[in-house]
Amino acid sequence: MAVPGATTLSDETAGRVPPALRGILPVLIAVPVVVLADVLLNTSPFATYLLSVVGVNIILAVSLNIVNGMTGQFSIGHAGFMAVGAYIAGVTSLELKEVALSFLPVAASDQVLFTVALLAGGVAAALCGFLVGLPSLRLRGDYLAIVTLGFGEIIRVVVQNTEAFGRALGLSGIPQYSSVAMVYFWVFLVVLVARRIAGSSHGRSLWAIREDEVAAEAMGVDTTGYKVRAFVISSFFAGIAGGLFAHFVPIINPGSFTFVKSMEIVVMVVLGGLGSSTGAIVAAIFLTLLPEGLRSLFGALGAGGSLAQKVDQIRMPVYGILLVVLMLARPQGLFGTKELWDVLPRWLPRKKKGMS
Amino acid sequence: MSQLLQHLINGLAAGTIYALVALGYTMVYGVLKLINFAHGDVMMVGVYMGYATAFALGRQAQRSLWGVVVIFAVAMVGCALLGFLIERFAYRPLREKPRLTALITAIGISFALSYGFQLDVGFLPGASPRAFPEVIVPSEWFIVGDRDVVVWNWQVISFLIAVGLMAALQFLVYRTRFGKAMRAVSFDHRTAALMGIPTDRIIALTFMLSSALAAGAGLLYAIKDTSVSPLMGLYVGLKAFVAAVIGGIGNVPGAVVGALLLGLVEEFVVGYAASTWRDAVAFGFLILVLLVKPGGLFGRVAAEKV
Amino acid sequence: MSAAVTPAPPGSGGALLEASGVSIRFGGLKALTDFNLSVRQGDLLGLIGPNGAGKSTAFNVLTGVYQPTEGEVRVAGQRVNGWVPHQINHLGLARTFQNIRLFRALTALDNVKVACRAQGALHPVVMGPLAKAGTAMRNYRDWWRALLLTPGFQAEERELTRQAERLLEVMGLSHRRDEEAKNLPYGEQRRLEIARALGTRPKVLLLDEPAAGMNTREKADLMVLIRRLRDEFSLGVLVIEHDMKLVMGICERITVLDHGETIARGAPAEVRSDRKVIEAYLGDSYLESHGGAA
Repeated sequence: MAVPGATTLSDETAGRVPPALRGILPVLIAVPVVVLADVLLNTSPFATYLLSVVGVNIILAVSLNIVNGMTGQFSIGHAGFMAVGAYIAGVTSLELKEVALSFLPVAASDQVLFTVALLAGGVAAALCGFLVGLPSLRLRGDYLAIVTLGFGEIIRVVVQNTEAFGRALGLSGIPQYSSVAMVYFWVFLVVLVARRIAGSSHGRSLWAIREDEVAAEAMGVDTTGYKVRAFVISSFFAGIAGGLFAHFVPIINPGSFTFVKSMEIVVMVVLGGLGSSTGAIVAAIFLTLLPEGLRSLFGALGAGGSLAQKVDQIRMPVYGILLVVLMLARPQGLFGTKELWDVLPRWLPRKKKGMS
Repeated sequence: MSQLLQHLINGLAAGTIYALVALGYTMVYGVLKLINFAHGDVMMVGVYMGYATAFALGRQAQRSLWGVVVIFAVAMVGCALLGFLIERFAYRPLREKPRLTALITAIGISFALSYGFQLDVGFLPGASPRAFPEVIVPSEWFIVGDRDVVVWNWQVISFLIAVGLMAALQFLVYRTRFGKAMRAVSFDHRTAALMGIPTDRIIALTFMLSSALAAGAGLLYAIKDTSVSPLMGLYVGLKAFVAAVIGGIGNVPGAVVGALLLGLVEEFVVGYAASTWRDAVAFGFLILVLLVKPGGLFGRVAAEKV
Repeated sequence: MSAAVTPAPPGSGGALLEASGVSIRFGGLKALTDFNLSVRQGDLLGLIGPNGAGKSTAFNVLTGVYQPTEGEVRVAGQRVNGWVPHQINHLGLARTFQNIRLFRALTALDNVKVACRAQGALHPVVMGPLAKAGTAMRNYRDWWRALLLTPGFQAEERELTRQAERLLEVMGLSHRRDEEAKNLPYGEQRRLEIARALGTRPKVLLLDEPAAGMNTREKADLMVLIRRLRDEFSLGVLVIEHDMKLVMGICERITVLDHGETIARGAPAEVRSDRKVIEAYLGDSYLESHGGAA
């Protein structure tokens, strides 16, 4: 299979599950699993933080992949949408801080409010995605890159000039509602959405746009409309990621959502392979844990603060060089457009004889 | 009124510098259809070369005319070399690949340079900005009324240098064999190659030329700002790119007009609104122009051949 | 499939595709001048002319890739000046490309399914503001159905697969169902492009040099196939072709372009003996060596 999700829904021998249930079943399974995992792990604050960061980066990478990978456009302003989500969700939570839903226990009430804040952030980001996408997606790919970049800068400046967002100082005191369970529930959702899009007729239209825009248009695909919709979905999840982020870090400020953050996400998507959701996941995990690992390693070796600090500095130029080397040596990234299970060894039982 | 005049002068002075950088974007886009994201960072490296040269010359020499010439020459030649290397080893292998790969490579180089220069290992300068030596000692050349309007010497000098370089470029592109070959490559590099034009060499030369121009512009900018920092490339480069797109990327006069417009718009925002909004306005202006004229002011959106 | 094709709409004299007085200029260059054409159901028309005569330009104007400078194009009775290609496609106009433009990394089946999907009853023929808003709403609802994997959506997907498989079968490509388009041999790629175009359920099919690069035998097969498709799918077909023999063999009427101008039109026999055509198309040398019009 060349294209993830090309195992079309109808091809699958999923006859055992009643069709009405197939839509919701994964969610029904995932929720208890995530909650249970959270309870069982009950880890140290640091591990919780690290897991949350990894989860947020996965959401960002997988959502960016919908635009950059599946649709073949090139957005480099994803951090801007993340910022929108973070600030809107953060402000919403701050406003609702004193509110409690009396008919629910406090913890549950908090989680409901948290979800409301997240959705507010996601919707705001999606709206921005629509506003940015509508004009710029009529333009050629490289113009889109620059417009998304400009959008990220505009967001930064707007935040820096808005009292309600704490200007350059940032926003602190946002209630720390986030939990590993919540983060990974959204990780699960974004992956599910990406997979279902990829396997549906909409996904095929997106792939078609990526392959040949002129031909797609001639075959009746509303290319502009599809690109905008892909953009909207992608920014929605970026906003959610931002909202989650805002609820487990002590402070958010414009410095968290710069061009550097956007680039980090782009590197994840490119490294994993443009068009591969699992590739994006693997790359996100790897690139998030690598600097942390190096830092702990240097710390454990007793190299002291200096080397451990250097890790953060070195990370950026290394990303840059990594991009160049990747493009020269393996432009399709780790997985290309394939998914993890497509590249796993063939001893795994396959549904059909290998194709491609 | 005099305030307006002052802003006009400042805006034009800033615009000419943007124009020099914008020309680099436009020329490279013209021949390769590539947005050379690393252009601004090449410029930054050039400024550091100039900075190092100025120090090597010492305080006395760096302010003499020949000192300035040496500083500019070293930076421009050094940058030309850097541009050549980048083209040769990063872009050329990707020329027949999808355009996205080259774009990602360019972003990667930009990233590696601008953040690599923030390390303080070996010759790398570290993250904090440094004061750029006063190569041109600032003095007020024209003063109207009671300091209502002030024109600084460096404004005039950089305006003249910029205009001179642009005139030279115009001559080069439209009056020489090299320029003709360049335009041919820009039109269709495969056909140009079939006609016996050494496309590789033309493209490499275009890169060297644009990088040298960028170095010159960067030095002028650093003199104006009296500082140099690893992120200036990203910053000035973006602005210049915006200018090139506003004018219609690939169009030489368009880049100049776009840059002057952008310089003026920024200056007026700083003068009449708030300086903190300057960057947002620049990008807002870009999006506005693209909305109304998707190809920029002077460019045309080339219909893809079907 | 044939059941999906609606009868020609009224009010257009039965013409499914009509170009009247279409001209297009690029800067100062007149690429097409006063081009007239009318395709009805069951027609099999040819469009010929030497290189650079404006044949592909004509296709691009008809399908909305270029906008005419003058004149108007009507598809199914609807004036489509200013429309974008996908809207025109939804009115029942599908095309293939001279230089094959398949979705190369997608399987043969998916190539066709993209086209099958994009059709459907989603787009109203006349896009008023209300209808537009309605379409937008439906589009978003459609995404939700895909994300929630509703039973209706699953059934739709299965139906799409069936339709696409059927078209592959018609074009003799069933054995390539799951192969990536780029791995197909050249002739099969051309056929896959036709299958894909048919996926949009066209009323009129525009074929841009369908026989280019084929050998004599394949060309003969193609002639039979095109006729068959016309009858089976009740199409009107317009063919651009370089190969005179192919055009003369299957087309009932032929339009000849040269330098963007229509220099002749009529039945193959008439066109063949037209001196202007021979001059333009085959050059003066042909006349000299063959002693004038045959």
